[in-house]
Amino acid sequence: MKVPVTQPARSARFAAERLEQRIAIGRDGRVIARSGKVEYGQGIRTGFARIVADELSVPVETVDIVLGETDSVPWDMGTTGSMSTATDGRQLRAAAVQTRTLLLDRATTRLGTPSSDLTLKDGRVIAPDGRSLSYEDLVGDEPLTGDIPEIAEPGNLPVPAAEDRPLRLEARAILTGEAKYPADIRLPNMRFGHVLHPPRPGMKLIALQDAAAHAVPGVMAVVREGDFIGIVAEHEDALFHALHALVAEWAPNPVAPNAAYEAVMRQDEGVESALSGASLHLKAAYHAPHIAHASILPRAAVADVREDGADLYVATQRPFGLRDEVAALLGLSAGQIHVHPQMMSGQYGRGNTEDAAIEAVRLSRAAKRPVQVQWSRAEEFRLSPHRPVFDAEIEAGLDADGAVVGWRCAVRTNSYIVGSQALAPGVPEQTAGRDAEPPYRLGQAEISLRVEPGDVPTISFRSLGAAPNVFAVESFIDELAHAARQDPVAFRLALADDPRLWRVLEAVRTMSHWHTPREAGRGLGVACAIYHGTYIAEAAEVSVATDGAVRLESVWCAVDAGRLVHPDGARNQIEGGVQQAASWTLLEELKVKDDVVISSSWRDYPIATFLDAPRTIEVRFVGDPETASTGVGEPGSVPTAAAIANAVFAACGQRIRRLPIAAALLSSTHSGHDAGPEPAA
Amino acid sequence: MMAAPIRLNVNGATRLVEAAPGSSLLSLLRDDLGLTGAHYGCGHGACGACYVLIDRRAVPACVTSVEHAAGKEIVTVEGLAQGDVLHPVQQAFLEEDAMQCGACTSGMVIATVALLEHTPHPDEDEIRAALAPHLCRCGIYGRVIRAVKRAAR
Repeated sequence: MKVPVTQPARSARFAAERLEQRIAIGRDGRVIARSGKVEYGQGIRTGFARIVADELSVPVETVDIVLGETDSVPWDMGTTGSMSTATDGRQLRAAAVQTRTLLLDRATTRLGTPSSDLTLKDGRVIAPDGRSLSYEDLVGDEPLTGDIPEIAEPGNLPVPAAEDRPLRLEARAILTGEAKYPADIRLPNMRFGHVLHPPRPGMKLIALQDAAAHAVPGVMAVVREGDFIGIVAEHEDALFHALHALVAEWAPNPVAPNAAYEAVMRQDEGVESALSGASLHLKAAYHAPHIAHASILPRAAVADVREDGADLYVATQRPFGLRDEVAALLGLSAGQIHVHPQMMSGQYGRGNTEDAAIEAVRLSRAAKRPVQVQWSRAEEFRLSPHRPVFDAEIEAGLDADGAVVGWRCAVRTNSYIVGSQALAPGVPEQTAGRDAEPPYRLGQAEISLRVEPGDVPTISFRSLGAAPNVFAVESFIDELAHAARQDPVAFRLALADDPRLWRVLEAVRTMSHWHTPREAGRGLGVACAIYHGTYIAEAAEVSVATDGAVRLESVWCAVDAGRLVHPDGARNQIEGGVQQAASWTLLEELKVKDDVVISSSWRDYPIATFLDAPRTIEVRFVGDPETASTGVGEPGSVPTAAAIANAVFAACGQRIRRLPIAAALLSSTHSGHDAGPEPAA
Repeated sequence: MMAAPIRLNVNGATRLVEAAPGSSLLSLLRDDLGLTGAHYGCGHGACGACYVLIDRRAVPACVTSVEHAAGKEIVTVEGLAQGDVLHPVQQAFLEEDAMQCGACTSGMVIATVALLEHTPHPDEDEIRAALAPHLCRCGIYGRVIRAVKRAAR
């Protein structure tokens, strides 16, 4: 399987797009806008609707957004990297601006009024004398077509007064149970399928006894294709009886592991002499374990494969990638495969591989009818690819004034990308290496990256390498500040040159009442990052009980994501990113034994609950509305681990260099304060 | 499969269903009655995605047998709104946008309805305790606590 590289889309690709691919006015006056992105809770359907509604002066509820339907939306690489608003949002805005221009042109002709005198309001073009034409009337039988001119964003466009009310176009369907996730799809003649997975990925099937499975009433097909075995049955009871009746013999199928990939991301002259000549020298190592995406709904998919085509009802972050993969598998053309993204449980990168969908395709092809595949919770933990394991060693030297004069950082991790592009030159740097270089003056620096095969399969995960890299870097910066006897916020401000970074740090200092002393057993920590153009600083307050139990009490976040499309939606994303990352940081670690994930339930893999949630997660947006929109889906999760770890140090004097924190503190000897590595000079 | 007809009262209507002994209420609701608002999340009553009301108490449908539910009043998330008018708890979740992907939302709404039925004015600790069985991966806990407080007003 192949996952495209996450990187900002180039505007060149948009040049070929036509307006009719993006926006249409229906005969009922509703606006239809199309995007290849998909919605899995991040709110882009609402954000896109808001962009189009603002530019066309129509109520947001009259905009229908079509997402990820491969037959009717423009090609898209995938919904990753917090890029949807920045790239496709921009393109939808350009399309809406052009729609507006064409509507005004037509109204000018029809009304005989110069377009500069016309106004657009609630789906009508209005002349000064009160005459008006509806958009649907202006479109009639001649759809708006043509190229989409580039726009300068925000540039000369008016900044819409985006009202800050909670809004989610799917909310009513979610709240009434009408929303359909892949597991909720019921097609005529649909049956249930399940695959017998080998004890470990990639094993070879050498013998199969399936007579007993065939004999289970309700079993329709036992499918064997090479090492793939699955069953299709009338109902789920029969399915699981038959699965248990299969006797399969598996053999190891060793494949040569991928080579390791090594890259030097930055190499200045004279790093060694800068480090050895520093007046203060520190070195530390950080570790983060494999963690799970842990979507609330395990994977499910429905496939309806026919001789001349296939329809897929799925949760996926890359509908076009899935389309092409299924076309190749079935020997059909891409246009014969129709991918219908459904409501999706939060994906966080998990939806970049479509294991359950491919299983459904193979079973549907064999059973010649629609088949639904539903993974169990245990399968979701044991069979899913997970976040890479992470290790970093950092050393730095400070001069007498506390400035960094030398920096050496070596990151060792696994690939976030699956398939042939995984180790293509530059790809690991952009993925595993993301945010490994801190946004500070480092003096002479060397930053190296080694991506090596993992013990278990790994894949993209919210923010890719940024969250673990920033955990290491921002924890170490805190250690440096402490060693230099400087305030951690002031230390960062002095090392940074970027006014936007200063602004979020200063804001979070104010929001958290940074200089107000906390009671004994409590501490405040800070961390910051720049993620794909979004600036974020977080301050965390924790309490550490005498038995080592850590509780996250409050988090304050200051964010500069440029112009906000939907402020409350952006706030929800940042809050959620913080809460999820707090769970990774405090609690989460997959148990792996003999290269197999053995965590299989929420008991083995606890995540944060309502009891763990902090009292407050306060988010303040401090960006300039004249600056282009950047993403908010991932940034909230990026600095959280370091902010919490630094707060634990402030509360109890113990440095956290291994995650999760709960395990690190409970396994420590409680030997008292740990002032970090000894200064060398 | 051997199947004995069982009389269920779901969302105010009587349904005569056939189910093998010991089969789960969740499968019956989703596969036979077409009520997919309660979700399969773990099958062990450990995630909260499948909660329904049985005699006004919130329970995980995945570990509740159909026989156990027979003769009792079952309410799923589909049965809360009156026509187009949302239940006050649904309305409060909507007004706080207390959701992202929505996978956990129906279970939390059900749990909140049960909580407020028995404790009309819960404090924050009571809200956290009542909702603790409901896992959310998107990180919506703070907004749900606000929504429950709003619904309790």
